[in-house]
Amino acid sequence: MFGNKRRNGIPGSNGSKKSLVVLATACSLLFTACSADKAPSSGGETDGATSGKRVTLKVEVFDRGNSPDGMTITDNYLTKFVQEKFGDPNNIDVEFVPVPRSEEVEKLNVLMASGSNVPDIVFTYDPNTFNRYAKQGGLTDVGPLLDEHAPNLKAFLGEEVLGYGQFEGTQFAVPAKRSNVGKYASFIRQDWLDKLGLPVPQTTDELYDTLKAFKEKDPGETGGQVIPMGMTIASAQYEPLLWSFIKPLTEEEQYTLTQQLGSNDYPTLLPGFKDGLKFMNTLYNEGLISKDFGLDKDKKKLGEDVATGKVGFYSEDDINPFYENGSVETLQKNVPGALLHSVDVFTNEEGKHAKPMYAPNGMYIMIPKSSERSVEAIKYLEWMATGDNLFQMQNGIEGENYTMVDDIPVAVENPTEEALNRLFNGGDMTIISNGKQLGSMEKNLKARALQMPKQLLEQVEKAQEIANTDVIAPVLMNRPIEAQTKYGTTLLDKFNEMIVKTTMAKPDQFDAVYESMMKDYMSSGGQAILDERKEAYKEMQAK
Amino acid sequence: MSMNAYFRRYWQLYALLVLPLAYFIIFKYGPMYGIQIAFKDFNFFQGIGGSEWIGFEAFKEVFGMKDFYLTLRNTLMLNFLDLLVSFPAPLIMAIMLYELKSAWFKKLSQTILYIPHFISWVIIGGIVYQVFGTQSGMINNVITGLGLEAIPFLTDKSAWLVTYLLVGVWQSAGWGTIIYLAALTGINKELFEAAGIDGAGRLKKIWHITLPGLKPTIVMLLIMNLGHMISIGFERPYVIGNLAVRDYSEVLSTFVYRIGLESGQYTLATVVGLFQAVVGLVFVLGANYASKKLTDESIL
Repeated sequence: MFGNKRRNGIPGSNGSKKSLVVLATACSLLFTACSADKAPSSGGETDGATSGKRVTLKVEVFDRGNSPDGMTITDNYLTKFVQEKFGDPNNIDVEFVPVPRSEEVEKLNVLMASGSNVPDIVFTYDPNTFNRYAKQGGLTDVGPLLDEHAPNLKAFLGEEVLGYGQFEGTQFAVPAKRSNVGKYASFIRQDWLDKLGLPVPQTTDELYDTLKAFKEKDPGETGGQVIPMGMTIASAQYEPLLWSFIKPLTEEEQYTLTQQLGSNDYPTLLPGFKDGLKFMNTLYNEGLISKDFGLDKDKKKLGEDVATGKVGFYSEDDINPFYENGSVETLQKNVPGALLHSVDVFTNEEGKHAKPMYAPNGMYIMIPKSSERSVEAIKYLEWMATGDNLFQMQNGIEGENYTMVDDIPVAVENPTEEALNRLFNGGDMTIISNGKQLGSMEKNLKARALQMPKQLLEQVEKAQEIANTDVIAPVLMNRPIEAQTKYGTTLLDKFNEMIVKTTMAKPDQFDAVYESMMKDYMSSGGQAILDERKEAYKEMQAK
Repeated sequence: MSMNAYFRRYWQLYALLVLPLAYFIIFKYGPMYGIQIAFKDFNFFQGIGGSEWIGFEAFKEVFGMKDFYLTLRNTLMLNFLDLLVSFPAPLIMAIMLYELKSAWFKKLSQTILYIPHFISWVIIGGIVYQVFGTQSGMINNVITGLGLEAIPFLTDKSAWLVTYLLVGVWQSAGWGTIIYLAALTGINKELFEAAGIDGAGRLKKIWHITLPGLKPTIVMLLIMNLGHMISIGFERPYVIGNLAVRDYSEVLSTFVYRIGLESGQYTLATVVGLFQAVVGLVFVLGANYASKKLTDESIL
């Protein structure tokens, strides 16, 4: 950490600027660590509100830097709404603490270590971070608080979702509830198929033939620039493909061989995984996927290639291409007559279109142990789950933001600027829910589709349906796997590296590259996770 | 002069010193308190003071990690190659600039050469991707347009090394000329005139006057560079590197970032940082000793 000061010792040389990021992070890391040792008081559950004194409740909020003029992320329609409807009646000042969305975990780590200024409500999407905090004893046990103060919240979340917030049997987090668990769908250029007189491919084999036809006949007239299948090193592109190669699993295999890295399950050790890699290797070596897919982590290049009409087929988060001014709309502007249709292609051994789904939970909402406002914090979440508070926060004002059609709030067309700005942070303020909650999955999906441009509605609904077809549920262990917390981030990198390297290997070197990457993966923590999961499975069986 | 009178006279100079001193105390010495994290099982909620001592446990763990040796090797390799390629570049460029007769052209070239230094690495990373990409990079579009095989500048290990080094030269060489140009102004012009009368051509002048005139600067810079072999900037390898060339592009600074900030294992990250600091100190002292022997100049 200290060695990174300067690469060249020359005064005024270029070294200092480059290492600034490292230095700054190192400094902040050390500094916050310094001040931390005087911080945490043991206080857990103290009743503040009952004493009648006005108290302050600090709540984390994601800052995406998209606040409209005249508003800030800590002072806007929704923060005022919260203060007025929840804060004032309960004699609480609700203060929002912004955390940049893109460095959520890093910033939260620093906040937690600083001890003094930790919000009373914090959250993260990263289960490893949650497990780490819980293990280090930094979180309040919210179980009793939920029982005492939050009947509506408990009913809203349900047993299954709450289960994700337990650490070694103790409820250390309130997991948010997802309104929709579908993840991925695939998309194909229907106009290309029409031009070539080809049917929509129904299986992986048929897809392969279609891709070859795209490559050879270049129906988009891209001048040799055609990318038959859009690929990146982001999960939305490779997961549907790889998981379709996984063979049917026994329950034991599911529990022991799955590797959970971060919030997703990974198929590294599952039977069939190698076949999936082999297929990607074939696609690459025959020029059916982009030569640079391994550089495209943020899907930027893919988006560009889709929008400029170079890509024939790709997988993506189900409704991602359909947003206003998103891939499809831009594509249709660039290439008149282009059609991108939702399809379900990748097929497994049993003929199913197997693909991962989300866990039913969203973020882990936590109350630090040092918080003296744990009761108020739970009351805040309870308030959000009560009556139509959540609905109002997600949908705004009737007539101005939405109108009710068949029990579903439909966004008003051409809303006023004021109405639009009202909900700019709606998704981030309603922390107990991921996506709109209307009481049933069917309604949730309907409402989600209705947010999209009207002319694309048919494809959006199809994509959502595909995303919920033949889904593979994440495996929930009955106790946290420590090795996953420890090696998760490293292994995720190794996993991606394995995909890139095996895919890009010459066909005759595929086996050798696969073997050496696998060895590296196992020795970097993969084996430790496997051993621990086997042990955990044994315990489960013994019970 | 009594102490009192001395201070009354010079207090302003001491006042000027306060800020830099504060800077060093706050940003360079203060954080050293955190070094002890390397010997503790750091717990977010207990803080540094409250975390348990674990002796050299974390060191054992780090020295047992394969990735540690990989990143250590890459750090040394990239720095060494950078020294071979990027070190002579500004020197050659400075001599070329010095030889230019036209003043406005010299100024213009200098400015153009400096500009890359002010571009953030994140932006350079984007440019590199657009220019050197295999599928649709500018250069490969030309190459494939000519009917040749595309060159994987960014995804083949060896090709990536060359890209990495040349991008480094492009970014920093212009800026690096400054110190040589400054040294060159110190060379007596009469020497060139005298050599010219004796019939020396341009190359002879460069070889016998310019280069010897720059020798102390070159030796000094070389030694200082050697002293920093173990540390490496974060942004350049992080931004230009990618998964396909991770065998070469993963270095100590990116390693620290991954295990420290991303995985929250502050203890391990601190161990690596401390290791770098200690080795770096050895290198600097060694370089200083060498400098004393060779040039009679030293910092300590």
